[in-house]
Amino acid sequence: MAMAKSSSKTKKSATSKKRSTAKRRPPQAEQADRYRLYQSSVQTPSADVAFFDRVFRKLRGRAPRSLREDFCGTGYLSATWAASHRERTALGIDIDPEPLAWGKAHNLTTISPKAAQRVQLVQADVLDGVGDRTEVACAMNFSYGVFKERELLRRYFQVVHDRLEDDGVFFTEIYGGTEAIVELEEERDCEGFTYVWQQERYNPIDHHTRCHIHFRFPDKSKIERAFTYDWRLWSIPELRELLVEAGFQRPAVYWETTDEDGDGTGEFEVTEEQENQESWLVYIVAAK
Amino acid sequence: MSRTARGSKNGSPKKSLAEQADRHVLYERAVQDPKNDARTLNKLYRRYRKQDALVLREDFCGTATLATHWSKSKPNRLAVGVDLDRDTLAWGQEYNVKAAGPDVASRVTLVEADVLEGGGPISDIICALNFSYCCLKERRTLLEYFKVVRAGLQQDGVFIADVLGGPDAMRASEDSHDHGDFVYRWEQAFFDPLTHEMECHIHFDFPDGSSLSPAFSYEWRLWTMPELTDLLLEAGFSAVHRLWEKTTEDGEGTGVFSEPKRVENWDQWWTFIVAER
Repeated sequence: MAMAKSSSKTKKSATSKKRSTAKRRPPQAEQADRYRLYQSSVQTPSADVAFFDRVFRKLRGRAPRSLREDFCGTGYLSATWAASHRERTALGIDIDPEPLAWGKAHNLTTISPKAAQRVQLVQADVLDGVGDRTEVACAMNFSYGVFKERELLRRYFQVVHDRLEDDGVFFTEIYGGTEAIVELEEERDCEGFTYVWQQERYNPIDHHTRCHIHFRFPDKSKIERAFTYDWRLWSIPELRELLVEAGFQRPAVYWETTDEDGDGTGEFEVTEEQENQESWLVYIVAAK
Repeated sequence: MSRTARGSKNGSPKKSLAEQADRHVLYERAVQDPKNDARTLNKLYRRYRKQDALVLREDFCGTATLATHWSKSKPNRLAVGVDLDRDTLAWGQEYNVKAAGPDVASRVTLVEADVLEGGGPISDIICALNFSYCCLKERRTLLEYFKVVRAGLQQDGVFIADVLGGPDAMRASEDSHDHGDFVYRWEQAFFDPLTHEMECHIHFDFPDGSSLSPAFSYEWRLWTMPELTDLLLEAGFSAVHRLWEKTTEDGEGTGVFSEPKRVENWDQWWTFIVAER
């Protein structure tokens, strides 16, 4: 992962020297925190929590309490989960100590101390299956794409299956569509900055893809390659086959419903058949 | 298959062009290039075996025009065509095999069977072209098929299949090509990202307004290159080669293939995958 750097910094300071003696304001990119930007542009943990709750209740007839968040990064979802109910606990697992430390400092201090006590953020390999069994497990933001070999992804799903309670449910996400498999860059305006998603390359021979997140600011400063991902872009049928091989029941696909204008509603419903689109993002739900 | 006859306005018995047409003839003209395919199969075999192949099994052979051309291409070549469809085989036996003369015909055997049953002589090459293996939609069925293929190959035999891909292969679309006396239309009616199942049709349209629509329909699962690679290795093949055709600056195919590790995804592509037994 590349840290914040602003390529416009040198240009800016050179011109501002001539123009003004006033104290130079540091570029916005330098003041920004890439984890904060990531959380505000990419994640909506409250929606994930509501979705897990709704689907788990439907399947099991009760509210879920324990969550395991694999590839948790800053543990934003884990913190939101624990804060959503006084009996909820969360175990976040990530291999990278940096986002974990950031999450402890920022996400566990902004929820109540009691809720924070119900969150464990642990540095570990998700393949090791550390921690107690949970009712809900999740792997969000496509991070399982780091497993590029079929055998390895199946092993991961087996670990997930093993670490779930007997009636546990696994939630994950996948993106796809005809625009997901080409080189592409797209921008989205967020509060105070622009989020840029770049698919630098996609290889049809092995489905490996390399993507970046960049953040750009109104003062033209930017954090290029704030996050870089080397993934295999798995397909829905591949994931479903592997989940079944790992012991899960036939996984359901939840597709976002659209309104009359064809815009996404933020609501996801089970689907059995869909026409392909340029771009889609769905939940896969696998019950043990 | 439905035939729409709109050729005659006054109700005279004159048949429309669609009614007079033979869909197998049109298919061979529009889709197949058996002489070239036979050459390509041998070229791919030579690439790994440094010698010419003699025995070919063409699975999903349809009218077996490729099998026939294979035997025609050298006097010591044998070909076996396997297909489930009796009528298509009968057509091929009459218009391709028999029409090639007694010598060639004696070296072509058509077998009405499920490709999952295997059979026939042990081959140097087994091929499954025109994406026909895509009718096997379950992973375990395709794995079983690849195992059967492997068992039907010589020790140094190779399996050759073609692969279709690119974003344009994964959406509804329609393409047409004018052949003068008819227009060939390829329709991808539906692609489901949940299953990668797709529904395709071939239509033939005629100058008198009549058409064979659809002349052929396919229900496939569009298998991807990494899926096929995994399955072939799982089936026991020792090496899998993903070929990619070199193109001119205008994007025209040159017939020359290489094995790049990484390529840019084109809008639509088809290429060969070769597995060594």
